[in-house]
Formats: sequence, structure tokens, C-alpha cells
Amino acid sequence: MTTSRRATVVAREQVTPLHSRLRLRAPEIAQQAQPGQFVHLRVTQAWDPLLRRPFSVMLADPRGGVIDLLVQVVGRGSEILAAAAPGQSFDLLGPLGTPFPLPPAGSQVILVAGGVGVAPLIFLADALANAPQEYEITGLFGARTASLLCCWLELASRCQEFLAVTEDGSIGEQGLVSEALARRLSAPFPGRRVVYACGPEAMLAAVGRLAAQQPVEAYVSMERWMGCGVGACLGCVVPSALPEGERYLRVCTDGPVFPASAIDWEARSA
Amino acid sequence: MASVDLSVQLAGLRLQSPILVASGTFGYGTEYADLVDVSSLGALVTKAVTLEPREGNPPPRICETPAGMLNAIGLQNPGVEAFIAEKLPALREFGVPVIVNIAGADTEEYLRVAERLGSAEGVAALELNVSCPNVKAGGMHCGVREDLLAEVVSAVRPVWPRPLITKLSPNVTDIAALARAAVEAGSDALSLINTLLGMAIDVERRRPVLANVTGGLSGPAIRPVAVRMIWEVARAVSVPLIGMGGIMTGRDALEFILAGATAIAVGTANFVNPDTVAEVRKGLEDYCRRHGIMRIADLVGAAQQSGRQT
Repeated sequence: MTTSRRATVVAREQVTPLHSRLRLRAPEIAQQAQPGQFVHLRVTQAWDPLLRRPFSVMLADPRGGVIDLLVQVVGRGSEILAAAAPGQSFDLLGPLGTPFPLPPAGSQVILVAGGVGVAPLIFLADALANAPQEYEITGLFGARTASLLCCWLELASRCQEFLAVTEDGSIGEQGLVSEALARRLSAPFPGRRVVYACGPEAMLAAVGRLAAQQPVEAYVSMERWMGCGVGACLGCVVPSALPEGERYLRVCTDGPVFPASAIDWEARSA
Repeated sequence: MASVDLSVQLAGLRLQSPILVASGTFGYGTEYADLVDVSSLGALVTKAVTLEPREGNPPPRICETPAGMLNAIGLQNPGVEAFIAEKLPALREFGVPVIVNIAGADTEEYLRVAERLGSAEGVAALELNVSCPNVKAGGMHCGVREDLLAEVVSAVRPVWPRPLITKLSPNVTDIAALARAAVEAGSDALSLINTLLGMAIDVERRRPVLANVTGGLSGPAIRPVAVRMIWEVARAVSVPLIGMGGIMTGRDALEFILAGATAIAVGTANFVNPDTVAEVRKGLEDYCRRHGIMRIADLVGAAQQSGRQT
């Protein structure tokens, strides 16, 4: 059940010039959250900035009662949050949204992260690494430059294979992470393959198009400006490619995790 | 200490509380069932319902502005038949009056939606949405002209036997004139204000933020405009008013009540803080105790008596 609670910052770490990692005491959410779900966080008790901000859960420790969030500074709200000091508290609504469906045992799992989009994939990798089933997990992590590969070790340490991709070639392969995925997918694999992706929309669209041409299941975690976070305001929609149902899907309650085939990538306005 | 009587009479409806939720901010009730005590509301006002399903506007549909937000949802809804079949049964379960907000592209559509809802069980009142700024056909254009507004209200009036509320647009020069037109055409109550037409531009990309270009501004930024309009309309008509526009606290709600609103609605604040309805209620009770007021209804328009004329 979704709850609204005060959550106290217990630790904050500057992980790149643009990203902070926050650890919050939020026992109910830490208990319930599944990889892919998010919390809707109010950055101030004042009316400006007004709206809550959605953040994917990066890690949850049910025994310790804490969750980790990865915050990229993009505006005033994230600036306030990224600078939060231990002891400060925030209103959290959550856990919200759909989780990543877990792959069948024995699957080859490819995690495709772009920038701050790595957060929910770290949680998923953690769940898969600790699951009783065996998985072969590959992590592909792209960013503009080496210094923006936020929390890369958290992903790499939970994967059997890990590749960093930077646009400027400052570390790992030079290029786009979607190109690295295309090469992986072109190598034949006899078993079941599942791709999970989170990152900028252009990257997700590339993943969606690749997945449509390959015998592979793919799931994407989408991001949108959000109003309510609970499905009421219809502000956070993405265009649907499903043959039935509404033209637009709500990121907050129909997602944020969607089968890549559910999104109409050609209609993207952004 | 005696408990404060929060009940109010609204066009023949007895509401247990003067606190409503604004159309479009509370879905069809179930979305907030985990977070808000829906049964404590005076009434639940639904998202707009139209004759046929509407897919709504392309995204981006919302953006944040100083102490406010712009939205251009575009009346996305499943249509009146699906509303009756899929949404209304759950709405009835909350045990509070259900006010259905209806919209149409023309007078005929308003009439047909009203007729259809007239034969459905569990609709306490209709709220005519003649003030949505985000659709090309219908919506606001008929809410900003007295003759068109009167045409819609008088068309619906004969087919709807229960209370009829007209929601007024603030995007007009003289809201009192529109209020009079709506009442003369048969409205039992008025709600105001809908959102203010606004827009934001992404300066880096040099284009409008919203795909719809313009949107409706809501949130605390618009509250002084809304309070002023309640004040003006309360002096122009004698039907009950439902006040809304940026209400975040009990104190904010009191401004509307003192200006002349019989009931108030919490809108954008539901997104920011789902406890707002409960906090407004507590704020009203505390205020009444502090001032020795036994019935909230006694405060309606109280500032008008002492208010300096402008």
C-alpha cells in the first residue's frame, strides 16, 4: 500500500559533479519497494518549487529500513535535494508504479543504463544477484564522459560482465550505449534474452527499435514530469503502441516500467 | 468543547463538510483511496466526462511554474458510457455525494451527456465544465461569452432535475456578468475559478514547453485572483458558490469562505500533499473554536459585511 511519510536523510554522498546519492530512513518503503518502483518526493514544505519529484529507488535495505536515491541536478528541486544534509527530512510517497518483471531462471539479462537512469537497474541487478535462480547478467552503462558514470561500481559489482560506454571515449568504448547493445544482440544466443533499460528517451527509443527487430524481450523505465504520481492527473503520459486501450499511458501507474513494445516510439514529441 | 458543525447546504444538497476536491485533480476517486479519507469529503467532483471517449493532448502536458503548474491534459476520459459502467459503481461506494463534471464540444453534447447521467444511479449533481482552456472545440469558448454560456445552461436545465453547477472561467473581463448569465439560465450554484490561461517557453530549445502551447495555470500562484473573483461573484448573484484556486491550507480556505463561498475545493494541492483535505478540515475546525464559531456556514461571506467597498 502506498503511504506518505517523512523520511530522514541519513547519508549523502557526492558521486559525480552532477550526482548525489542520498540514503533515507524509510522503513515501510524499504520493506515494500521492488526494482523499478519509484518514490514521489516533496523537496520543500513551502509552495515553491511546488510539485513532487519522482525518483526510482536505487537500492532498498529492508532490514536496515533505508533506501538509496540517485539525484542528478537538473533544476531547483533537484538542487535542494542534492544538497540535503543528514538529519533533514522529506515527504515521501511510495512505493509507486510498476516493477520490472523478473526474468525466467537461466535467462541472459542485459541491463542498459544511460546516465542517472542507472538507478533502478542497480536495484534490479541487486535483486537478480541475490535471487535463488541463476542469471547471466551483463551491464552496459553509457554517459557523456567518464566522470558522469554515476555509481558505476554499484552496477558493475552485480554483473558478470560490464561495459562502460562514453560519448567522448574518456573511458571504455567510445559511442552510444545503444550501439553497444546492438552489437550484443547481433551475437546469437540460444537461450532466453531479456533487456532492461533506463536512461534518456532517445536511448530508450533506440532500445525499443532494436528490441522490435530481435527475438528479445525488452522493458524500459520511462521518465516524465509528474503531477500526482497516483494516476489521477493524467499529466505524465506517453503514447501507447498497444492495439487496445487508451492512446496515452500514465508513467506513474501504468509504468514507469513498460514492455518496450507498448510504447509508440515514432510518436515521441520530445 | 462542543464540536464545530462543518455541514453546509449547497443547492439542496446537504454536505457533511464544505471541503470538496476540484475536478481533474482527484481522478475518479479510487486513485487516492489509499492516501485520502474520501468519505470525509463534502462531495467528490470527478474528472470531466464527455459523450465520446477522448484521448487527450499529446505530451508534455504539464509543467511547473512559480508556486503553480500549467496543465493541458485535454479532457482525456473514457466517455460517459464507460464512466457509468466502470467508474461510477466505485464512486458510489465512498458514501459521499458524487458531482460529475461534464464537458462537450457543443450544446447538443452537453445535453446528451446530462441526459445519459440523469438515468444513472448515484449522481448527486452536475458541474458544467464550460471553462476548460485546453480543448479547441467547446470548453472555454462557451464559458467566456454570456450568450453561449446561457445557451448551454438552459439546454441542460430541463433534462437534469438535480442540482446544476456551472464552473466559471477566470479568463474573462467581467466574471460577475458571466455569473449572472449562468444563474439566469438556471444554474443552482457556481464553482470558480477554473485555471487561468498561461504558457511557458523552454528558452534553451526556443519553443513552448507544452505540446498544446498554452495550458491552465493552477496552484497557490492564482489564489488572490480566485479570491477576488469569489468576492465579485458573491456580490452579483445569490446562489451558493464553490470556491477554488490554490487552496493549500485551512487559512486559504477561509479566505474563500469569508469572501462568500459556501464550499471550497482542494485541487492542485492534492498532488503536492495528499493530506491537504485533512489539514484543511482541521484548520477550519481550529479557526472556528478559536473564534467561538459553532457553524462554519455562519462564516460564509462574513468579510463582505465589513469589507470596504472598492
